[in-house]
Amino acid sequence: MAWVTWRQHRLTLAGIAALIGAAGLYLLITGLQMRGAYSSVAACQPANSPLCQRAAGEFLDAYAPGAGWFLGLMQVIPALIGAFAGAPLLARELETGTFRYAWTQGFGRARWAVAKLVPLAVAVTVSTGAFSALIAWYLQPIFSAGDDKGPLDPTVFDMVGLALAAWTLVAFAIGVLAGFLIRRVIPAVFATLAVWSALAVVTGFFLRGHYAAPLVTTSPSNPAQAWVLSQGWFHGGAPASLDMINNTLARVDVRAVTPELFQPGPATPANLGDPVNYLIQHGYTQLTTYQPVGRFWPFQLVEGGWLLALSVLLIATAVWLVSRRAA
Amino acid sequence: MTVDKGISEPSSAIEFRLDPTSGVPTHLQLVHQVEHAMRLGYLKLGDQLPKVRDVVASLAINPNTVLKAYRELEIKGLAAGRPGQGTFIQTTLSQATFPELTRLRRLLLDWLTIADAAGLDEDGIDALFTSTIRTFRGLRDDARVTARETEGIA
Amino acid sequence: MSVIESSGLGKRYGHNWALRGCTLAIPRRHVVALVGPNGAGKTTLLNLTVGLAAATEGIVTVLDGQSAGSPTALDGIAFVAQDTPLYKNLSGADMLHMSRNLNRRFDDTYARTRLRELDIPLERKAGAMSGGQQAQLALTLALARHPELLVLDEPMAMLDPLARHDFMATVMTAIADSGVSVLLSSHVLAELERVADYLVLLSDGSVQVSGEVDELLACHRVLTGPSANAGVYARQLNVVSARSGEAQAHLLVRTDGVNAPVPYGWEAHPVSLEELTLAYMRDPAAAALPGPQRAAVAQPVVARH
Repeated sequence: MAWVTWRQHRLTLAGIAALIGAAGLYLLITGLQMRGAYSSVAACQPANSPLCQRAAGEFLDAYAPGAGWFLGLMQVIPALIGAFAGAPLLARELETGTFRYAWTQGFGRARWAVAKLVPLAVAVTVSTGAFSALIAWYLQPIFSAGDDKGPLDPTVFDMVGLALAAWTLVAFAIGVLAGFLIRRVIPAVFATLAVWSALAVVTGFFLRGHYAAPLVTTSPSNPAQAWVLSQGWFHGGAPASLDMINNTLARVDVRAVTPELFQPGPATPANLGDPVNYLIQHGYTQLTTYQPVGRFWPFQLVEGGWLLALSVLLIATAVWLVSRRAA
Repeated sequence: MTVDKGISEPSSAIEFRLDPTSGVPTHLQLVHQVEHAMRLGYLKLGDQLPKVRDVVASLAINPNTVLKAYRELEIKGLAAGRPGQGTFIQTTLSQATFPELTRLRRLLLDWLTIADAAGLDEDGIDALFTSTIRTFRGLRDDARVTARETEGIA
Repeated sequence: MSVIESSGLGKRYGHNWALRGCTLAIPRRHVVALVGPNGAGKTTLLNLTVGLAAATEGIVTVLDGQSAGSPTALDGIAFVAQDTPLYKNLSGADMLHMSRNLNRRFDDTYARTRLRELDIPLERKAGAMSGGQQAQLALTLALARHPELLVLDEPMAMLDPLARHDFMATVMTAIADSGVSVLLSSHVLAELERVADYLVLLSDGSVQVSGEVDELLACHRVLTGPSANAGVYARQLNVVSARSGEAQAHLLVRTDGVNAPVPYGWEAHPVSLEELTLAYMRDPAAAALPGPQRAAVAQPVVARH
């Protein structure tokens, strides 16, 4: 049966290998270049001298945007694998009628499904897991240079640690089940993309921030590399509106475009300094809700854990349906 | 595509064919063909009938049909099965030798020429032949009855 | 020793019963023709038999009481579905390899010999083969498993006459070699006449006729006689179908045996399988079933005149 799985899905596996291989090669080459450039930043002593700070800033200016783009692009990897490896797996059998051959052989339907789904699920998980290790290696100089994005940042979090592998596995599982339920390849592909994206958005926006109770700080400077969930001004214990802030700042001719973005006017005193401090001196408090960078691994474990459980559940459901429900 | 290259080489004295339009059940068609071949001398005592598998492969019919035909031939005493070998012709149906048959056929042809000259068409010949055979059979049976009665008296 | 046994078997899709109250007991070593008009439930019954569908009600067992779809049942049954689905991008050799991997028993030598005899190139992709070659490949894969029961769903629907003949010859040879039982559905009656020795006629989701062909033919007759008293006899006899002109009428009747009396002035003819099947298909109210059901059909069924 291993031969059957390999023979029927070697093209899919080759496609995944090509995709991840090409991206990996790009990471390896640019990563080595980046490390070359970073070695001078790392060697700079003392690290907090203005000269060294400037070197780090230049390094980040040169490499951080590229890394950001790349990570953005790689967000689609789980969806692609789910849609093009997972969705057709059962849908094609049902669409072309070959299930009537495959499910009437002596091997048995449940065993057939397990023998197909499990090795492929392991293959996509392991390959994307390895790929995310490469991404982490690639990003390391950027974090070391003090980029204000931390590993908990939504564009980074699901590309490193356990998350990429777990998100790919769940996309694959969604694809498999959607393929069985919809029974046609193309609609199943789109359904997989839609369901996976919805799950990723809901998790990123509503779920992940609550894996642990967020911390709150009144310090005007954000904790290093923390994932800031929300930030707002309070006055006398109640949220301060933009109008209130503007009324206060009008005295020094500063306009608040947003609660975080200030525009000095012609009459602004030269010695005002940061308007944030001015506000604090005038009875305002800035409350920042955030998840500290130290929670990266616990969060990875929580997210990886429930995604794995969900994937196992989806795949088990698909196997059960194959063995039970039929044409 | 050929059904089975093995059967294109003659492995048996005769080869069956089927007439799907005759309305005669398949197994009876096989029985008739064997009897016909025996009468015409194509099948002789000791000849092997086509193997069931070969008949089935060339005619695409149910093996049970062939077995049924062969069983019927066995019941009629015309053939006998030998375990592990096949079914063999056990008796002879052609009452005349081959040269004799040829002579009779020639005589019949001559008669047909005369009938044709007399203006009889094929149906007419057929009708005349059938009714004559019936008459002949009646006469023959009478003769046998008479002979048996004579024996009884004696 | 029954190859398929079902009792009160029913399958519902949504609100529609594709099959209902299907009770059968088909003995082994038969070529069973499953016939009936489109939508009568043929494919549903086959899917239930091979375990591709689960019954909504009732039970179906195969090969002496194995529940359909169980490992033992799957092991002993080979199924060639309608339009003979194969993996189009796999070669003949790959399909062989796959079947060998998916079955406990697979006679590779048989399969290769058979395909060589049929001039089917092993390296050709299934999708590039002719309909006849695909059908033969699917059949060969099924037979190489040496099944106890071979199930064929409309196997010849897409084939030309020569390919049909060759396909049937392969099936019949396998029967001669191994005694495999065969269940095949078809609506081409003529091609079943030569091969089937057991008939199951489905109509509108239930079994209308079931029995050995010889027995069915033996207890049915076509009576031909004057139209004038056809009506009278039709009321006395168990008429399956009646056709009548101004003067002459044909009644297809179910008799109790070969020596059933023939009304005076009427002639009796034996009936062909095709004639018999068509007659029952024309009149779904008539039924010919073995066992206890027979009592229910004893009263004559009068068809249109």
